[in-house]
Amino acid sequence: MSRFWKWVAVSVAALLLAGFVFLSFMAGSPKDVYGMVRYAFPHMHRGTLKVGSDAPDARIVALDGVSRFHIRERTHERPLVLVFGSFT
Amino acid sequence: MGDVVQIYEDYKEHADFLTVYVREAHPTDEWQMKSNVKDDVCYAQPKTLEQRVLIANDFIKRFKFPLPFGVDDMSDAANDAYAAWPERIYIIDESGRIAYRGGMGPFNYKPEEAREWLAARYGAVKHKAAGRRNYPEAVSNGEGGNGDNASKQVPTV
Repeated sequence: MSRFWKWVAVSVAALLLAGFVFLSFMAGSPKDVYGMVRYAFPHMHRGTLKVGSDAPDARIVALDGVSRFHIRERTHERPLVLVFGSFT
Repeated sequence: MGDVVQIYEDYKEHADFLTVYVREAHPTDEWQMKSNVKDDVCYAQPKTLEQRVLIANDFIKRFKFPLPFGVDDMSDAANDAYAAWPERIYIIDESGRIAYRGGMGPFNYKPEEAREWLAARYGAVKHKAAGRRNYPEAVSNGEGGNGDNASKQVPTV
């Protein structure tokens, strides 16, 4: 292996290590890096909605587990603050 | 969620609110956080709608969460439409358009930005800092919020 390619390999390894350390810091621990890459990244999307876009509709299930309603049913007379989240 | 509850208490006379429960962010069978164990918030990722509804109801009961609440169905339709996971806030105006688009959580989840939007329209509600709970102090210009909720407790998650 030429000296050039050795430097390339070392640089790439250093970048990967720096990325791993950075993600470990962001996620909390090296174990959390796996969780972030395996479970979080595939579900995180910036989306295409912008201010001024028509708000998309979606059918929502009520807390009784049976009734349904649509987001757009609640967007007529006043602004609707729409909060998405989960328990954990 | 404490910030959102406070915003709801401050502006529920002017705006409608809807919380939509989407797929879990840190379930026991995926990327569980130490804080989930510490807080005793341990759930597997729901595989059925019934499981999602059950967890959503647990959340409501545990924190006496006052906002109107719904559950995204198992097709994740709302989540996909709004790129909502793991947490995100939007404000839709009366014409049905996006008036505020919050950043993707957790790092860019900033309820205070939604508060600013509401404050610009209806007037700011100032609070005294009191630990993690806030209490209304005064209503400034504009229509203002409801100033009679000083005794209400705000769940903090």
